[in-house]
Amino acid sequence: MADVTHTPNAPPRHLPAGTPPILELVNIAKYFPGVIANEHVSLNVFPGEIHALLGENGAGKSTLMNVVTGLYQPDAGEIIIDGYGTTFPAPDAAIAAGIGMVHQHFRLVPRFTVAENLHLGWSETPRRLSAKDIEARAKELSARFGLPVRPSAIVSSLSAGEQQRVEILRVLSRGARLLILDEPTAVLSPVEVGELFSALRRFRSEGGAVIIISHKLDEIMALADRVSVLRQGRLVGTHQVADVTPDSLVTEMIGRPVALATSYPRQGPVPAVEEAEPLSLQQVTVRDSAGVVRLDNISLSLRPGEILGIAGVTGNGQPELAEVLTGLKEPESGTVFLNGKAVNRADPAMFAHAGVGHVPEDRLKRALMPGLSVAENMALREYDRPPIGGKFSFSMPQARKFAQMLADRAGVKLPGTQVQIRGLSGGNQQRLVLEREIRIASHVLVASYPSRGLDIGAISAMRDMLARARDAGVAVVLMSEDLDEIFALSDRIAVLYAGRLMGVMTRAEADRDSIGALMSGRSLSEAA
Amino acid sequence: MSAVSHRTRLTVVPSYRIAIGRGLSILAALSIVAITLAAMGRSPIELAGLVVRSTVGSRFGIEDLALFMTPLMLTGAAVWVGIRVNLWNIGAEGQLYAGATAATAIGLFTHWPAFVALPAMIVAGMLAGAAWIFVPAAARAWLSVSEIVTSLLLNFVASLLVYYLATGPWADRVTGALASTERLHMAFPEFWGAVHLGFILALATVIGLGVGLAKSRFGYETAVCGSNPQAAHYAGIGVAPRILAVLLLSGALAGLAGVFEVAGTVHRLQGGLANNYGYLGIVVALLARGSCLALIPAALLMALILDTGIVLQTTQISSSAVLAITGLLVLAIAAGDELAAYVRVNRT
Repeated sequence: MADVTHTPNAPPRHLPAGTPPILELVNIAKYFPGVIANEHVSLNVFPGEIHALLGENGAGKSTLMNVVTGLYQPDAGEIIIDGYGTTFPAPDAAIAAGIGMVHQHFRLVPRFTVAENLHLGWSETPRRLSAKDIEARAKELSARFGLPVRPSAIVSSLSAGEQQRVEILRVLSRGARLLILDEPTAVLSPVEVGELFSALRRFRSEGGAVIIISHKLDEIMALADRVSVLRQGRLVGTHQVADVTPDSLVTEMIGRPVALATSYPRQGPVPAVEEAEPLSLQQVTVRDSAGVVRLDNISLSLRPGEILGIAGVTGNGQPELAEVLTGLKEPESGTVFLNGKAVNRADPAMFAHAGVGHVPEDRLKRALMPGLSVAENMALREYDRPPIGGKFSFSMPQARKFAQMLADRAGVKLPGTQVQIRGLSGGNQQRLVLEREIRIASHVLVASYPSRGLDIGAISAMRDMLARARDAGVAVVLMSEDLDEIFALSDRIAVLYAGRLMGVMTRAEADRDSIGALMSGRSLSEAA
Repeated sequence: MSAVSHRTRLTVVPSYRIAIGRGLSILAALSIVAITLAAMGRSPIELAGLVVRSTVGSRFGIEDLALFMTPLMLTGAAVWVGIRVNLWNIGAEGQLYAGATAATAIGLFTHWPAFVALPAMIVAGMLAGAAWIFVPAAARAWLSVSEIVTSLLLNFVASLLVYYLATGPWADRVTGALASTERLHMAFPEFWGAVHLGFILALATVIGLGVGLAKSRFGYETAVCGSNPQAAHYAGIGVAPRILAVLLLSGALAGLAGVFEVAGTVHRLQGGLANNYGYLGIVVALLARGSCLALIPAALLMALILDTGIVLQTTQISSSAVLAITGLLVLAIAAGDELAAYVRVNRT
């Protein structure tokens, strides 16, 4: 394949020709039992460059970065820093070479202050110093790198964006010249994303290099100078961002062109309206443990064979709504009707048996047992019925067969059903959870942010699965921060703001402006 | 090419690698013991010969090993069922005393025929063991009070209670033995020298436990609760009742160890009867890792160390040597298990 834009060794255009790279990877390979994580990966990164790394879930991005940061040893290939071949026997060697990583899941001590976190495990931290001293030092660091933080704040009280700034500051204060960020925007609000990007651009203008792993193509197009694409552990191309389009990147990433559909027409007739409501809420109010109202007097009913999209900015009551709909939380006041019968206590098992599936927001924390095998994880919803189990029995061979069947249907390649599920990539874990939940969701499926962390191919497959569930007569609730997704799939759209339902409208009535107004808390009459 | 490492860590370690690793670990630990003995001016070879002759080398030694193994298998199982779901019962010592006390009450104060009394002892001992852990278990299940501290502290209560009974109300007035009750009226029948039925029953209990947990819904549900309580809640599995059930089972197993010890091996309730079996059960459970059946060889190894200690004591070596050897062995095996996970990657 003659790809004219594949120019792996040229520096970004804004840098003078002949600039030496800060990092060169030559034919890196890394194998795990039964899996080729990386093979023949050659890549270089120049000072003053933001380099995006793109690839599907499980394409080997995280493994490659673990090799660069010394967490893994490559099984073949060379790492060259400033022109000298090196090996990183351990992460501290990579840090000493000026490579710093900001992980997707922060590695901060939640109970410590910002200043304490910055000084933890740092050779330059003076042996004796007072809280005042380290706060002063933290303030100085914050000013030097242009990342505003409050040194005396306890980390657990900070927003995700602020915690990320602390992480970046910690890495930069160790003298990092190459900053690696793993999906840094996944947890950020749009404003925080803007702040992060301007901080990264400033770092670049001072001669720093950045590798950013992201699924969000528009962010890559806006921020990066060059982009490298990994597929099945191999590098398929490195391009100047100016030479590519989002579409060409997607094609390269998954080996075939994929465009997300903007609508999912029904395969059969719409079910009659008089069919019983599988689940409805009547004037439901929920408070959290601190007594703050999270859901405020919500009335809502689901209809079979329909997708109800819940739009809203994150943190406006979405998790609580999902918990009430799946029986995980009992409302403080108001009633939940399951198949027409009032339920007045939290009983997730009863909801599950009544055919309510649930893909929660945080799958690893909520829906999976990371330390148990794939087989045991896949059995979680059907362990109490044949063929896997009965009133007293449990059959591991049947659970393994069942797990293999789910994996085959989800298109997930397993190294075996007895491996711990934490060993699978995040995207594969999500596909398996979705497959498991759709199986039991005979009446209702509540999906919270199902596309979070998935690549575009997997998102497309996920949406097809939701549409198929709808066609089979399931009432689907789709919570998403992505309005395109809501508009593509929903039959009705509800907007959640500060725990209140701002309105429910059909897809035909809804338009972006009115939904956007409702999401920011204005009523339709105000917006008009 | 530069020197890159060709080793990678396996996520699933095949059991043959663990077995090899453990063999080498035991060898390493024994070598250190031998070197230490040699430095003390003793002949390791002579002592080793003595240890082998008096443990596996003689009928009497083998009988002794079986008697040591009986309580160790059960206290090991007691700790193991907890660790399996992330619960740490450090109180097997106390539950063993509770079980022994209940069995003693039947053995001293009833004159039932053996086929009634012995099953009654087993039931009463298991209930007593479960009762002894009930408060820590309930506090852990519903109030999230750490079971490690509460179960540990009750050991001292149980031990003092047994001393009180053995020197006070239940003291032996016939022979005047110190801190001991009279001989029980009935005992588990001996079938091979001093080895009694308790050994067979302990073996059967461990096997039954392993098979039962692997093939039961209870085993699966408790594994889920132990691995991620939030996911258990999500799946509609009540976590608190299952924590309680696992800890009660754990207490009952330790109580059973007490029954066999008092009514099979010692025949009297004595102060110090537990002989650290409860604590050594933690070591046995750790050695067995994820496998219930591995409790049997782990208990055998621990029994060998205990026996070795006794033999060494007869040659004027401090009895603390047992603890030192145990520690050394656990350390070596922990290192061996870890190293067994690393494999060389063959590239072509």
